[in-house]
Amino acid sequence: MTAQAICPDRLPRCTLPSVSLQNAAIPPNTSHNISANQIRQDANARRAAALAAQQAVDATNDATAPGTEPDDCPAPAPARARRSEGKAQSASKRKRDEERKKDEEKAIAKIKASKTFQRRRQQYDSDDEMSDEDEAARAIFEERMAPLPDQMENCEDCGNRFRVTPYSRRGDDGGLLCPKCSKELDKEEAKATKRRKTNAGRQRRQIQSNLLDGIYPGAKDLMTLCIETLAKNVDMAEDFGDLPPAMVERLSGILCKKREMRSDPLNLFLRPGTDTVTVYDGARLSSDDYIRIFQYCPTVKDLRLRDAVQFKNTVMDHLLSTKITLEKLNLHGANLIDDERWNRFFKEKGENLKTFKLHYTDGHFGDEQLALLPKTCPNLTRLKIVHNQKVTDEGLEHIAKISSLVHLTINIYGKTSSPPYVEIINGVGPPLRTLCIDKANIDDSVLEAIHENCQNIQKLRLTDNEFMTDRGFANLFTNWYNPPLTYIDFHKCRHIDSNDPRDNLDGIGFSSLGFEALMAHSGKTLKHVDINSCRHISLQTFERVFAVDKKYLDLTFMNISFCQAVNDFVVGCIFRSCPNIKQLVVFGNFGVRSVKIPKGKILTGIPTAMGMQTEGTEDGEGRIAG
Amino acid sequence: MASSSQSQAPSKYVTLISSDGFEFVVLREAACISGAIKRMLDPNSGFLESTTGRCQLAEIKYVLLHHTPKIFKYAHRRQYIYKMAEQGGIVLEKVAEYFYYNYRNRNREDVPDMEIPPELCLELLMAADFLDSEPRLV
Repeated sequence: MTAQAICPDRLPRCTLPSVSLQNAAIPPNTSHNISANQIRQDANARRAAALAAQQAVDATNDATAPGTEPDDCPAPAPARARRSEGKAQSASKRKRDEERKKDEEKAIAKIKASKTFQRRRQQYDSDDEMSDEDEAARAIFEERMAPLPDQMENCEDCGNRFRVTPYSRRGDDGGLLCPKCSKELDKEEAKATKRRKTNAGRQRRQIQSNLLDGIYPGAKDLMTLCIETLAKNVDMAEDFGDLPPAMVERLSGILCKKREMRSDPLNLFLRPGTDTVTVYDGARLSSDDYIRIFQYCPTVKDLRLRDAVQFKNTVMDHLLSTKITLEKLNLHGANLIDDERWNRFFKEKGENLKTFKLHYTDGHFGDEQLALLPKTCPNLTRLKIVHNQKVTDEGLEHIAKISSLVHLTINIYGKTSSPPYVEIINGVGPPLRTLCIDKANIDDSVLEAIHENCQNIQKLRLTDNEFMTDRGFANLFTNWYNPPLTYIDFHKCRHIDSNDPRDNLDGIGFSSLGFEALMAHSGKTLKHVDINSCRHISLQTFERVFAVDKKYLDLTFMNISFCQAVNDFVVGCIFRSCPNIKQLVVFGNFGVRSVKIPKGKILTGIPTAMGMQTEGTEDGEGRIAG
Repeated sequence: MASSSQSQAPSKYVTLISSDGFEFVVLREAACISGAIKRMLDPNSGFLESTTGRCQLAEIKYVLLHHTPKIFKYAHRRQYIYKMAEQGGIVLEKVAEYFYYNYRNRNREDVPDMEIPPELCLELLMAADFLDSEPRLV
């Protein structure tokens, strides 16, 4: 509905021709006291009056001389041609236009000559927008000639009449805009600036992300593209057909990353006959969903659930009531299963269990349950108890009796000491291939036990420790019967003392001697080395280890962040000695400033704004990593 | 790509043939992104393909006619097949398109993702698995 229809008393002023008044404001639901007939009569009368006034205005518009605008047209802008002039293009009008143009030109010339204008020109000299003198003068002219506040004006955009305020916006052609149109314009502009900003940020992050994923530069591979498309359209899918398990797992990973693993998508992964179910983020699944896993896939042998908070007593009860025999169970965040259920689980289902990994159980799963393991799980080869708050030294000792163990990872939050760990290594050490002990207050006696007992270790992780000494590490790797390792992680094995932050007189932590002994023992086969925060390794050691004649062909990943001695030269030496390295992490190494990075390598964590850099000078395939 | 130093230089183009007989002639270098095709065409492999430059891909159909996965919700299977054929439900063509897309963008950064029609994506996934289009650092 137009503005005219709402305020009929202003109608005569309107210069718009032939305004339809058919839909004049008549409230659809009139109240009881007013008769419809009377309203109709009133409306008719108003309509007639409006028509008469309109004709009168048109007549005067045609007749009046250019200088004297009709009184009822309050806009004082003589310069602005009204687009609603109508069909009558008489000679007098043309004449009037010409005169108006002349006036305008005169006014503009005056503006150009004025001192303020000259000053303004100087100010804006460098500005591109104001470079054209004529344009600038015209802009000022139009600004001056615009209707003053509290006068009526036709909107440049929609043509509706509105009251001018000091805040009225100017449109593209210099005219004023009504509040409605200016609001829309504001909204569009805000949207444009906002979108541009977020897009730029997103793009930059995407490039960095691709860089770390090893797809830079170049395109994603076809399989990734397909899986991503499938993940986007997963709501359309009914089932996955005979998709290979590796791809199903990748698909699950993508969905979980996007936090979209709910009941419906879960059903797609519960393929009858499958033996593996992997959910990387089960936070949005309910207990019923977990029960459904066992109902749909009674053949499941390998169950991996992360963030499975709702995997609680009821689910465990259901599992215990079925005939399902799990071989591998990897449960993360299931902190609502009580100790009694765990006891029953090991007693009833422990016999076939080969892998048991348990993360984040808060107040449950303690010494008692560990005591059950040697008796009830004769086939257990892989045990991982991490982020556990309940287990103590006494419980750990029971692990020493699980003679079938091959892989062992322990991360207990409570205070634990060396003796139980020594006992474990004495008990199950020889066949162990993986040994990971995180955040335990162990000392050199454990390293000695490893040296004495272990003969098959491939992966060794001892982290976050302030008691083991450099000498201990060196002794471990000197004349060790164990074949060379492939995976080493000794991060945060270092001396901390705020009173004496630089010196390390007692040789605490993984340091120069240990590092040299390690690389001499395992350098040939090491693939992954993480020694971040081992800050007392000296520059000379790095130089000796990565000397010209040393080559470490298998090394693909290395983290030497916060090792204070590392500088440009060391990084260069590492790239020279490790031709197959893919990623080198150097956070907090302020000696690394401008280093030449060979093609295909990723250096992460340089202390510059970018933080990350790749460089390619050779010709060859455009890929960073495979 | 590792071009041979044979007396007779191999053609720059190779022919990919789908199981239902459609042929696509593509740039050798682009097609060799695929591990499987690369091994087929390797002059040292001694495969017939390496001399003729024609790869018979029995696993990949041009038009999907019988093997249609039950993946997308269409009322009738027949209708689905019809729809696929009409839309150009063409796997090998898409694969060839990908080869060129990848070849064109091999050294660019921030490459826009190639559009893959959702109906085709499962078939294409199987083809990608077979062709092993994983990038390899040589």
